Amino acid sequence: MTRPVFIAKSALLCARGESPTTVANALWNGECSAGQRKLGERAFPYFGLPLDEADWMVRAEQAIRQVAGQLGPLPPETPLFIASSSFQIGHFEQLGAPFDLPAATASFSRQIGEWMNLSGANSSFSNACTSGFSALDAARSLIAASLIDDAIVLGVELANDSTLAGFAAMELLSRTTGRPFDTRRDGLVLGEAVAAVHLSAKPATWRIAGLRTGLDGFSTTGPNPDGSRIADVTVDCLKEAKLKAADIELIKLQAAGSPGTDLAEANALRTVFGQQMPPLISLKPGLGHTLGASGLAELSALLACLDADKIPATAGFSKVDPEIALFPKVERSTEHIERALLNLIGFGGGLASLIMERHG
Amino acid sequence: MISLTAVHSQNFAPADLPAAVRAALGKPLRRAAPLTQLALVGALACLPAERRALPTALLWQSTSGPRLETLTLLDEVCSGSAEPMPYDFLATQPAMAAAQIQAFLPGLQSAMHLPLNSVGVAHWALLLSLAIVGLNQGRYTQVLCAQLDHADDIASGHWLALSSIALENSPASLHLSRSGSCDVLPDVPDFPEKLAEWLATGNAKAVSLQSPVAMSQTVEFARL
Repeated sequence: MTRPVFIAKSALLCARGESPTTVANALWNGECSAGQRKLGERAFPYFGLPLDEADWMVRAEQAIRQVAGQLGPLPPETPLFIASSSFQIGHFEQLGAPFDLPAATASFSRQIGEWMNLSGANSSFSNACTSGFSALDAARSLIAASLIDDAIVLGVELANDSTLAGFAAMELLSRTTGRPFDTRRDGLVLGEAVAAVHLSAKPATWRIAGLRTGLDGFSTTGPNPDGSRIADVTVDCLKEAKLKAADIELIKLQAAGSPGTDLAEANALRTVFGQQMPPLISLKPGLGHTLGASGLAELSALLACLDADKIPATAGFSKVDPEIALFPKVERSTEHIERALLNLIGFGGGLASLIMERHG
Repeated sequence: MISLTAVHSQNFAPADLPAAVRAALGKPLRRAAPLTQLALVGALACLPAERRALPTALLWQSTSGPRLETLTLLDEVCSGSAEPMPYDFLATQPAMAAAQIQAFLPGLQSAMHLPLNSVGVAHWALLLSLAIVGLNQGRYTQVLCAQLDHADDIASGHWLALSSIALENSPASLHLSRSGSCDVLPDVPDFPEKLAEWLATGNAKAVSLQSPVAMSQTVEFARL
């Protein structure tokens, strides 16, 4: 016995703005400028939050409280599901050696709960780039099964050198800009975000029609180039939603400008959608790849775009890669979208597909 | 009906972990972090060879997380030349574990990692509730739930395996219950050890799992 799960409200703080609406407007206007973050002698483009505070923990509190304020008053017992790939590692970098890590790896989540005035159940999810949809899947599964009625799912990824350095050491970062599906794509551009959705059993505009997670063990750093596992997850998601591929009107790509992962995603999309490819967009050229927060940040931003019937163009794409042979939208549009698919393809083999459908 | 098909706890001196992996695989597992090694030896201990290709989910939690590896990374990033050795970074990414063990568990379809926010408190009730929901929906045939921790002096893994296929030797069934009328076990990291003790020594027909996650129903085990 399951019941539908809705998104009652969303909140977002990222490089493009301080609410889902301002972010949607910025994307509509084609804003995609990034700052820079230095790492030793090298500098990388980086999408930082619009916060000047230098102290890592104070800045984190500002960001979390800002997003909590967007959500409005909540019963304190509302369960909180937190997604992150790096939690408070930037804080320990700032404090320096000796590094006094807490005994419980996600102790930062308790602090987040306090900042949000949420004293109920508090659980954390860390599956690299798919963390946000893992947390979303857990929360919506419990609501669908009538085990809980509401949940806040929060994605948080804040600036730190460890993640940037790790990706840099593996030569996965672009030194210029994110170019999804473009022949000149040369890597990721990272960023910060705090994003949240309020899930509820009470009807609202957007319903989670399908959500499936998967795993591709082809390599720890990227999926099988043939995209077969990604396609399997998307097909499962369509089945859960009781939809055909042709019912999907828009796809929010994972596409971050990674040479290998973009190709795998394109091959998966061809497998699932064939010649009936829906319009494609990538939000990462505007927001950066916000890793553990990316699922929720891009979901919040996309729903705000769809609420306004303003679908932005994909920045960074101009010259198609013949091997990919798919074209993200380069012209913005005002189409009314009823159903959208959102893909995540994670570092470490995590995969996720989410279908959002308008309700009523 | 959802069956409990394995209750398993393992403790290793960290130096013995690679040998345990070799014993399980017949070969070493190259470039795998300790949590990945723990995940592998535990998963293989829970699932006999004939069930490793069945659709499977892995839900695992950890108090320690990759603590030692994170300290190494921080030292390299903050005290060294800014960019770490790639393997040292990869070792701090617990999500890697699932990708690396999929080759040995071809049915592994999905994995979820939950780092814990307090010492001595676990989220078995959450993991098991999600497992029951997933099995009831037919998303998977079996679900592995685990608590994996790794410190200087010990590496430990506690496992429960659940299946939607009833097995002859299953010691208990699981379901979600509103009644809460039976004995209660605490939601602690080594819960599988407590459950194994209950299965071995108790007389009660059922036991439920106390949860810090406030849900309308609790996980209940019924002795078979």
